[in-house]
Amino acid sequence: MAATRTKPSAREIFTTLEYGPVPESHACALAWLDTQDRHLGHYVNGKWLKPEHRNSVPCQDPITGERLAICLQAQAEDVVAAVEAAGTAFENWSGLPGASRAQHLLRLAKMIQKHQRLLWTLESLVTGRAVREVRDGDVPLAQQLLQYHAVQAYTQEEVLAGWEPMGVIGLILSPTFSFLEMMWRICPALAVGCTVVVLVPPASPTPLLLAQLAGELGSFPGILNVISGPASLGPVLASQPGVQKVTFCGAIEEGRALRRTLAGKGAELGLALGAESLLMLTEAADVDSAVEGVVDAAWSDRSAGGLRLLIQESVWDETMRRLQERMARLRGGRGLDGAVDMGARGAAAHDLAQRYVREARSQGAQVFQAGAVPSDSPFFPPTLVSDLPPASPCTQAEVPWPVVVASPFRTAKEALAVANGTPRGASASVWSERLGQALELGYGLRVGTVWINAHGLRNAEVPTGGCKESGSSWSGGPDGLYEYLRPSGTPARLSYFSENLNYGTFGLAVPSTLPAGPEIGPSWVGQSPGARATLLWALATALERREAALTSRLERHGTELKDAKVEVELSARQLRAWGARAQAQGHVLQVAGLKGPVLRLREPLGVLAIVCPDEWPLLAFVSLLAAALAHGNTVVLVPSGACPIPALELCQDMAALLPAGLVNVVTGDRDHLTRCLALHQDVQALWYFGSAQGSQFVEWASAGNLKPVWVNRGCPWAWDQEAKGAGRELGLRAARTKALWLPMGD
Amino acid sequence: MSARNRGTELDQVGGATEEGVDLPSSLHPTGMHTSGFGCFPMEPEALNLSWISKMQVNQPAVLRRAQQIQARRTVKKEWQAAWLLKAVTFIDLTTLSGDDTSSNIQRLCYKAKYPIREDLLKTLNMHDKGLTTAAVCVYPARVCDAVRALKAAGCTIPVASVATGFPAGQTHLKTRLEEIRLAVEDGATEIDVVINRTLVLTGQWEALYDEIRQFRKACGEAHLKTILATGELGSLTNVYKASMIAMMAGSDFIKTSTGKETVNATFPVAIVMLRAIRDFFWKTGNKVGFKPAGGIRSAKDSLAWLSLVKEELGDEWLTPDLFRIGASTLLSDIERQIYHHVTGRYAAYHDLPMS
Repeated sequence: MAATRTKPSAREIFTTLEYGPVPESHACALAWLDTQDRHLGHYVNGKWLKPEHRNSVPCQDPITGERLAICLQAQAEDVVAAVEAAGTAFENWSGLPGASRAQHLLRLAKMIQKHQRLLWTLESLVTGRAVREVRDGDVPLAQQLLQYHAVQAYTQEEVLAGWEPMGVIGLILSPTFSFLEMMWRICPALAVGCTVVVLVPPASPTPLLLAQLAGELGSFPGILNVISGPASLGPVLASQPGVQKVTFCGAIEEGRALRRTLAGKGAELGLALGAESLLMLTEAADVDSAVEGVVDAAWSDRSAGGLRLLIQESVWDETMRRLQERMARLRGGRGLDGAVDMGARGAAAHDLAQRYVREARSQGAQVFQAGAVPSDSPFFPPTLVSDLPPASPCTQAEVPWPVVVASPFRTAKEALAVANGTPRGASASVWSERLGQALELGYGLRVGTVWINAHGLRNAEVPTGGCKESGSSWSGGPDGLYEYLRPSGTPARLSYFSENLNYGTFGLAVPSTLPAGPEIGPSWVGQSPGARATLLWALATALERREAALTSRLERHGTELKDAKVEVELSARQLRAWGARAQAQGHVLQVAGLKGPVLRLREPLGVLAIVCPDEWPLLAFVSLLAAALAHGNTVVLVPSGACPIPALELCQDMAALLPAGLVNVVTGDRDHLTRCLALHQDVQALWYFGSAQGSQFVEWASAGNLKPVWVNRGCPWAWDQEAKGAGRELGLRAARTKALWLPMGD
Repeated sequence: MSARNRGTELDQVGGATEEGVDLPSSLHPTGMHTSGFGCFPMEPEALNLSWISKMQVNQPAVLRRAQQIQARRTVKKEWQAAWLLKAVTFIDLTTLSGDDTSSNIQRLCYKAKYPIREDLLKTLNMHDKGLTTAAVCVYPARVCDAVRALKAAGCTIPVASVATGFPAGQTHLKTRLEEIRLAVEDGATEIDVVINRTLVLTGQWEALYDEIRQFRKACGEAHLKTILATGELGSLTNVYKASMIAMMAGSDFIKTSTGKETVNATFPVAIVMLRAIRDFFWKTGNKVGFKPAGGIRSAKDSLAWLSLVKEELGDEWLTPDLFRIGASTLLSDIERQIYHHVTGRYAAYHDLPMS
């Protein structure tokens, strides 16, 4: 705006007191592009890879349209080369002592600090985001991530004993996600000893720059490889033999498609989907501060998505007035201007926002736009949508950047119902000065992160992730590390994909003998961990009372008497072990730069369906059940098909001891039951121990509500071994994390 | 930025140069009552405790906002120079020392009349704007000296006097009121009173309201600036409540601090006071001014204060009628920055006249 006018004199400005341009020089970004002759390829194995005969796309300044560079598009063979390089590097890198990896990560952090200006100007130049946010937010956080994970690498042998790095990790980023999202994921992966291949969208120079900075450290060239290419290469990367895990950051529907494509393929899939957030403003809130929270969430270039805003009816008018007043003072403009709140996000984001707003209007919504923002594309003004009918399609859809959709609620209970009534569950903030109310809402929200009286705070030490359709992949904190670890001794993941599996008919060979959906009782979330422990111990005692009967059942099934005895004995022990662990969950994090604690909570998944293996008919059943119950889940179990009787005997005791509906045991055709459970939208997680085909089906079908699934891929397990039957992996998978931020001060 | 503020209102350096410039109400877009020069002092509102009873300020959130404001808005080059000159017109040039005598008061008043070297202003084409500070601010016993000195300098800017047992306010109400009357008699047209912190800390809001009402009355035609001494109020919620009470009782300005407390003008406190001013404006239609004081020493700080007011209240408040900065050494740093902007060199101590 101001930049296009002729420069006003001090005398004129004295009268208008307007803001002037504060351009940040991007000469260093251009100079770096020049070192590549404005021709970017891929960065693989510590070298630039610029193969011939490839398509290329221009990398443009999103605001001026000026062509900054040409970017090569990868093809399948480039992906193969990158995965090979990462595989070779893994041999060395994973064998290093943690202390050496820590050193290397710290050197990379220093490297970033040395080139920080290049990093923030390049990122702001090519993405159009406000340079202030990249400079003051992203770049320091990228360094902090490396430093935090260096410490984790240093203590790995001690703290993470019994776990080993997975291997080569594939990371797929979609265009709306910044280089910081890449840092959140490569840092833990590299720290624990994995190596990474990142597939970035065309024309994303910043990840390439980071790979170059890592490569120039010299010692371990292949640990971070970045290739740039179209989204269609995602499945190619994911199904490369050797890739053990794929993390995908992108849109929900893309994640769903990838989940289906990767069913039965080797790699495990972690999803971090969508970018929408939620803000709940109660009548007990400091409304002005909450309005700043809305600005942080939607109009400050911090988040890639929009915001759903729930306002208590009694403060609706006051809040809307303050919001509109505040919006008028927002400034938009070229991202490289140091005094703008919002930059631009490119034509795609602009069109998405415009489509959404047009749709909302046509469905009867009120749209308010304000702020000093250039009127031409790709700029889009801060937008506040209200009066959107609750049942309209727009209310259900994900809110795009930079739109805020406000809707009223009457009571805190209703607010929770509305907030939890969307399929997404990434992050939310609660604004209330009443401690009791704030905590009630914070605990009740089904999301990965909750901030009380703040929005959008992030820290390397705090796990960040989501639930429901936002995907259950975590980054940061201890949870981020476990994403790239597996229990020591686990065989490498190979593809077990079967072409012959017909998803449409799997499990339909036997006519249905059971109701389509299981009858689910209320969860026992309200029960204290102590009460859960007591019940599990009581169940163990009941099981011991049946020892003779259970042993003979197992014997009749063909188990040796000695083994049968062991199985019954171990089963009782598992119940007690998990009962004891029920009490020790979650902990408090102290975070640098935040006054007040962050609680890392471990919450139940909800309804957890478990298809038990045929082997160890009692022990496997009890182990899985105990872990699930200890974490507060409601369970639907399908017992061993070959020998269901011991499990059913135990059900008699459970009926007497446990609340009705907490444990539901269903028997029948396993494939059919698996089908029902895997396709059930209200089953929040599924563990499957059965055939390879069943595993593949479960992975495919889980795309429906993107429930986390855990399958054995047709391989039998040694349930009598501590690591399997009572291992930490079981505990990790039986609950989900929530980070609850509690800033304090008076 | 917005067209409606490009009117004559701001061209006149906010009317600070001529005493008694009556700003027609049409210049105020809302047509609302504004305190400040030429306008009648603020009429008190009836005490309404429901305006403060529910209010809770979230301190960590306000702290975050305070950090952001400083990082999000900067001005450079011509803009910086213009903003700094504007900041000069907001300054209450202050000396509040035990060793003040008529000679340094006289020097202060001349500096108030000629805040920036003439040749520097000429280069910026600002010499004909009649640039002065907004007022001078002294102890009651020095009001006569200041009035005399300003008259001798041919300058019509107001003299502000602190009063009511400044800085602690721990004297009898009777003597505090008498102090105001005497200062007004001596020719002070603005009175900076300190509130009784005891009343805030013990939650005696009615008593606080009554006291300030009496200050208001004692001021007569003079303008009342109420110092909240926020460093001693204990919490931001108390700052909000005390601001609201002071405005209801008829203050023309609310002021952060005396400059004598250990914690003076800070951004978090300012944000809370500015929000209270906005709430009061929305409730009553009356615009009350804001004066941060104490610890504002650098030109850079002053720019941050300007943008803070611009962001929280808007351009309408960026006039000496509604915004003041209480400072003593700030002016010389601004002059030094202007010198650098004009000449490209840093000024030596002797390059700029002392105040």
